[in-house]
Amino acid sequence: MPNTNPDPERRMTRDAALDVLARRRTNEVVVPAMTALGPWVRRSGSDRNLLNLGFMGGASTYALGVALARLDVGVWVIDGDGSLLMQLGSLATIAHAAPSNFLHIVMHNGVYETSGAQAIPSEGRISFAGLAREAGYAQVARFHDVEAFDAQLDEILAQDGPTLVELITAPTESFYKPGPPPSERPTPAVARNWPTVRDALRDD
Amino acid sequence: MTMIAQSVAATELLEALLDAGVQDVVAVPDTHQRTLIASIEADPSMRFIQATTEDEGTAICAGLIVGGRRPILQIQHAGLYACVNNLRGLGIDGAFPIVLMVGLLSRDRAKAPQADFGSMVRLAEPLLDALEIPHHLIDGPADVGQIGAAYREAEQRGGPVALLIGAETV
Repeated sequence: MPNTNPDPERRMTRDAALDVLARRRTNEVVVPAMTALGPWVRRSGSDRNLLNLGFMGGASTYALGVALARLDVGVWVIDGDGSLLMQLGSLATIAHAAPSNFLHIVMHNGVYETSGAQAIPSEGRISFAGLAREAGYAQVARFHDVEAFDAQLDEILAQDGPTLVELITAPTESFYKPGPPPSERPTPAVARNWPTVRDALRDD
Repeated sequence: MTMIAQSVAATELLEALLDAGVQDVVAVPDTHQRTLIASIEADPSMRFIQATTEDEGTAICAGLIVGGRRPILQIQHAGLYACVNNLRGLGIDGAFPIVLMVGLLSRDRAKAPQADFGSMVRLAEPLLDALEIPHHLIDGPADVGQIGAAYREAEQRGGPVALLIGAETV
């Protein structure tokens, strides 16, 4: 079966999509997964960026916990297609919990970017917006054109969630290359990060 | 001496959870603790959050803690094996004080868990040891005080603590 997504040159870039989101961000907690993490933090530095590293698809439910704890604060997760596939049941969990403050962005580039750009299963046929709609999300949308995404995002954000927005993006070259081993045991980034976010929320 | 693990009433466990300040129970269905799940779902002072996998449950608990809540993760021993990566990534690397209640389904009540013939029961404690997660056995009503103590321990050490439910709850 042919790939029904647009050719990569007709898709939005990840960075352009992040720019659109960063311009709208106010006080939301944002959970950027995997390759979105660095580019997002550079665009939208905040003590409400909750880092997600190495949880194998756990970004959406990590964000869900925050959303259920703080129904008064918007929570955005910037997920990947391969990541979401690792815990696809989370769509039903989120739909069932139904937090109105939850925005689920899925960057659908069709590949496992960090591991060498292998195609995800069913690429070209799978629709994450379709899966979320059938799981019971309150609102779903799908864009490959960044101008269309930019034009409709305010309207999307004005509606109650949970909302999933699938963005068909061009792959980037974000192959993961391990750095040199540390000379002493470090405090992992996740452990350094989450108390900052907790304290920022506590100060609300 | 032959040990005989005793069932704990769901009402006693629920009371201990409330005394420990637990606000949210994140759970994947568990035959062993089904009476407790039913009690929690019926209690308006406790929020019940259902997950489809134990990996999800671990991450939801972590997020709830970020948001200032006190959750418990209630799972079956099979689920403990299923959520090892998130226990490692969030529990160990993330230093989240997640307390788990793990039901030892089909455990031979006359044996210590590590002497059980079934691998699901027998390997639960060694797995937790390998993950450097402290664990305590709730083998009867006298052990219910372990619940409050587990929260103190988890917060003090900055990491998960597991409570193993030795006999089916009633």
